Amino acid sequence: MSLLTAILTGLAMGVVFGFALEKSRVFEPGIIVGQMQLRNFIMLKVFLTAVATGAVVLAVLNGFGYVKLQPKAAVYAADIVGGLVLGVGIALAGACPGTTLAQAGVGYRDALFTLAGGLAGAVAFSYVQPSIEKNFLSIGDGKLIVTDLIGVPYWQGALVLAALLAIVLFALERAFPWREELGSDVDGNRPAADARPAGSKPALVR
Amino acid sequence: MLSAKAWSPYAAGIVIGLLQIPAFLLIETALGASSSYVTVGGLIASLVDPAIENIPYVARHVAATGKNWWQVALVAGVAIGAFLSMRLSGARRTSISPIWSRALGTESHGYRYAVAFVAGFLMLVGARIADGCTSGHGLSGVAQLSVGSIVAVTAMFAGGIAAAMLLLRRL
Repeated sequence: MSLLTAILTGLAMGVVFGFALEKSRVFEPGIIVGQMQLRNFIMLKVFLTAVATGAVVLAVLNGFGYVKLQPKAAVYAADIVGGLVLGVGIALAGACPGTTLAQAGVGYRDALFTLAGGLAGAVAFSYVQPSIEKNFLSIGDGKLIVTDLIGVPYWQGALVLAALLAIVLFALERAFPWREELGSDVDGNRPAADARPAGSKPALVR
Repeated sequence: MLSAKAWSPYAAGIVIGLLQIPAFLLIETALGASSSYVTVGGLIASLVDPAIENIPYVARHVAATGKNWWQVALVAGVAIGAFLSMRLSGARRTSISPIWSRALGTESHGYRYAVAFVAGFLMLVGARIADGCTSGHGLSGVAQLSVGSIVAVTAMFAGGIAAAMLLLRRL
């Protein structure tokens, strides 16, 4: 595939991705911070549904031999340290690296600062990467997947994962119906009636 | 449907999950977002410090390969797609989400911008240490049952929950 075709494919896929992120409202800081404060579960619902769908898709594509899996290496210390730092960033940004672009697209101005910080972080990491590559970033078990540990084909494990996630999602929806979680302005912003001191003006009037 | 203000999270999640089909079949890679920051950041940094391209990690990411630039195009497309969706639904957004004045305890835009910059920095340093973000480790890694991705995603939520509880005010 030529570079141009790859770019056009990426653009087309990105438009669909961004469209779905916006429609699901999961890109809203209110939804992401709400998830991390365990008050709003829309992020988990979108995320786990996408994981379950991906697992079914890959079970079929890999099970019939159309594609090879592309798992990342298990590098435990780096996965844990990096994951923790990334998580702190996600909470404070109210975004993740992908949804930052969706926020910028709808006109959230602070997302441009998240984006600039992200680019600076990637550059800073790049300067340090050579000195921590051997003794930190690459220590682990290589490309390990759960079904290899158990000794069953990937497609079986993937379908089991999808089934388990479907049960979790069903329970989540029973506990927290998604329409209620969106809030009146579908941005996850649900100020409690008593959250603001009496007489203060509402946070936002449109 | 395209002009709806919101879709069910399940419908949107299925659409996102289905994107793994073209990713694996056409690009032979999984959905991801954070390495594009190295590609674009490395390219911008090379304007100031051309020697940065001597770092193999940077050279790998800025190289004119389909995978590198497919991902840059993907995240650019995310911005376009979100913009189109917002325009079609007619949703009007303020320049900063109304949650921030409550979460941060101040109306100051400057303060929010500073927090956002630091947050973006942490996000990408973390994602690059872990070699993936919510997309690469989360959507793609967990779906592939990758052991490292499951560890990384668990840490991601642990860090996110801790920071949101300790550093931000309750929404």
